[in-house]
Amino acid sequence: MTAVSTVKCVVWDIDNTLLTGIYLESGDEPPGADPVLAAALAELGARGILHALASKNPPEAAAHTARVTGWRFAAAECGWGNKSDALTRIAATLGIAVDALAFVDDDPYERAEVGSALPGVLVLSPEEAAEAVGWPEFSPPVITAEARRRGEMYAERQRRQEAERAFGGTREEFLESAGTQVTIAAATAADVPRLAELAARTRQFNSAAGRVPATEDGAAGPPGEGMTQDWFQGLLSAPDCDVVTVRLRDAFGDDGMVGGCVITRDAGTWTVPLLMMSCRTMGRGVIDALLAWLTRQATQAGASRLRIPCVPDGRNVPLRLALAAAGFRVPGPPPAVYQRDLGTSRPALPGWVTAPGEPGGGTA
Amino acid sequence: MIPAGPGPDAPGPGTPGTGTPGGADPAPITDDLRAFLASATGRDELLHIPPTAALFGAPVGLDSLTGTLLLREIQRRFGVDVAGEDLNLDSLATLGALAAFVAARAGPGSGR
Repeated sequence: MTAVSTVKCVVWDIDNTLLTGIYLESGDEPPGADPVLAAALAELGARGILHALASKNPPEAAAHTARVTGWRFAAAECGWGNKSDALTRIAATLGIAVDALAFVDDDPYERAEVGSALPGVLVLSPEEAAEAVGWPEFSPPVITAEARRRGEMYAERQRRQEAERAFGGTREEFLESAGTQVTIAAATAADVPRLAELAARTRQFNSAAGRVPATEDGAAGPPGEGMTQDWFQGLLSAPDCDVVTVRLRDAFGDDGMVGGCVITRDAGTWTVPLLMMSCRTMGRGVIDALLAWLTRQATQAGASRLRIPCVPDGRNVPLRLALAAAGFRVPGPPPAVYQRDLGTSRPALPGWVTAPGEPGGGTA
Repeated sequence: MIPAGPGPDAPGPGTPGTGTPGGADPAPITDDLRAFLASATGRDELLHIPPTAALFGAPVGLDSLTGTLLLREIQRRFGVDVAGEDLNLDSLATLGALAAFVAARAGPGSGR
């Protein structure tokens, strides 16, 4: 059996699921929270799993459910359409894959509808959900500070998106005005758990597509769970190898460590066997800043080639777009190795990036 | 569908693209792509960019977010999987190159 993928967000029904009755049929006193599932919300939330609501109810039902469960939901879809459509919108709002959702509903019809329209979604009855807290799908291998803040970060993200829509200028001007700060730094032992978590969770910006990169040419190894904390720990002391972290914050919130990469150097060739970034950062210029920094550093070190092997798998199209935008190309047949000509002028690095080897890199 | 009347730089008949062996007419696709880029970025001036305009860098500044949205829209409207067929995404070099790439693969009259 292959590795179980971890659920990133649970989408809950309200009536007779999170509530002990039906919201619209209860008159002046709406039903309270199911105590077992309320405890499951808190337990899963502490593991960095998000919660959302999909209900055939008016929006007031979501507000009531948030109040009685004491939980801040990352997204809520209230309406009378198909629940599979609600789940698709929730995944898009949160910037995660539909297959990373679980769905809990007491109504067998709704479970069948979602299960048939979205076969990648883990569909559960409320009874199963109460048990599922112990399942591997709900047990991330590591739980970091970033994971515990994940729910808040999505709320910050909503405020940021609203501000960007109201902002008149270009995206770059918005990032500047929002006080964006990207910090690139060498990884330390304390960063290892989060690096392993990013390797396990990222897909849209993951050059290795979840596979352990073979060390020599950076080609992908077999799929599996190889990018463990031990693997990163070993790289920290490996010769001619750098492990780099990327942190992001702005006026709306601190996202902590959002990405990283591994660099190996060999006779004028820099290879990046692993490049990864949280998809939550999409549109915030972070992946572009990291690629520009890598290009600048390789050029400055006198390297002639910068190579980024990439396993194109349909899900990492955003990474391929970022590579193409940064001037990387695949010159040969598969396996795909993106390369960039280092002879041309160095790409600019925005002023809000702090990085080793760059002006101001020692400050902040 | 957002009406995006042909601007002064709209391609006339026979505007060279990257070659369109059969398939759909690239000119209306070019207009559709302009309209989508303008609405995705909130920048109306993109309604008037010429087919030679670069998508990465100035003037469009396509990044991973707007690029992903654009490719998703192209798949939805024209049934063309640009990322699946073009590993290097060279088809995203210019507006005209992208329209020609899509036109060559979309059936005539696609895009409604």
